[in-house]
Amino acid sequence: SVTEIRSGFTAIKANIQARDPIRTLSILSHPHSLHKVKLLDRCCITHQLFNFYVDKVFKHCKTEDSFVNRKISSIANSFLIVKRKLGQCQEQNKCLCGQESAEKYKQILANYEGLNVTSAAIKSLGELDILLDWVEKSG
Amino acid sequence: SGELYCSLPNPRNVHFESINMKNVLHWSAPEGTGDGVLYKVKYSVYGVGKWIRKPECRNINRTWCDLSNETFDYEEQYYASVKAFLNGMCSDWMETTRFNPLTDTKIDPPMVNVSSTEKSISILLTAPEKWKRSPEEESVSLLQVYPGLQYNISVLKKKTKKRWWFSVSNNTLVVPWLEPGTAYCVSAQIQVTTPLLHSGFSKEYCVATLKDK
Repeated sequence: SVTEIRSGFTAIKANIQARDPIRTLSILSHPHSLHKVKLLDRCCITHQLFNFYVDKVFKHCKTEDSFVNRKISSIANSFLIVKRKLGQCQEQNKCLCGQESAEKYKQILANYEGLNVTSAAIKSLGELDILLDWVEKSG
Repeated sequence: SGELYCSLPNPRNVHFESINMKNVLHWSAPEGTGDGVLYKVKYSVYGVGKWIRKPECRNINRTWCDLSNETFDYEEQYYASVKAFLNGMCSDWMETTRFNPLTDTKIDPPMVNVSSTEKSISILLTAPEKWKRSPEEESVSLLQVYPGLQYNISVLKKKTKKRWWFSVSNNTLVVPWLEPGTAYCVSAQIQVTTPLLHSGFSKEYCVATLKDK
């Protein structure tokens, strides 16, 4: 599924990022980069972020372009699959959430809520490669 | 700053060309302008609030600027921008799309070393190195950057034109049960599954298996 998300996003990356004119703000990478997250907290943050995208991002990303909309919904479906798997990990206590992940997620929500919903959703969608680069690097 | 009147046509096709994370900004001259156009360049880290000028690319007449040093951290993403000047007139700043060194770089083919015995050939592959700031700096193989990196290898028996394909994750491959005294040619490509990247194929390296004793 992550590979499908990656290829779906690659197809619409330029289109979505062009809709985000704000260079000076990021949802995921600043002020604190995902890449600084400790190993212990990665599973929890990954789970929180997949929930974040399903609950707060995809539903606000409607465009006038049907091709882009189809790609967004297929990405969203792949997210649901991964989200369910991560949910199972959490149920089996293999995906514990500590103080750092709570802080990190709070920062991401603050970045998101600093913009109007549509801008924040499009910016988050345009940062999917930041999420995927981090998820794939964390293995 | 000497910028009088910004009605000069804009630089065109401002984009990064990246190979093994050597990241060079390229553009085309504004339409209809002959010689004498000068440029300046700035760049920014996505999510950080400021544009940074590149002094080495100020008032240059070439249409490229090496930003490898400034975009060295491949966990960040970047924008770059170019402005043109001619006879006291200037253009607008023209920006790139968002540049992600990790997914937007091209990868060179691997180095291929081949040796043979009577009935087998041994292939040793070496992934290219990530661009580095100075020769003294420690080399980083792209294998470390892309943990999912693997090699696609083609082995051609010259006499019969029969070809075999292999995909390996480690960097060595031994092809057994070959015909003695026969020429085989090897070519290899790098493939990264996520993000989806692949190099071209290396040129062919030919070796002959030893003759029967």
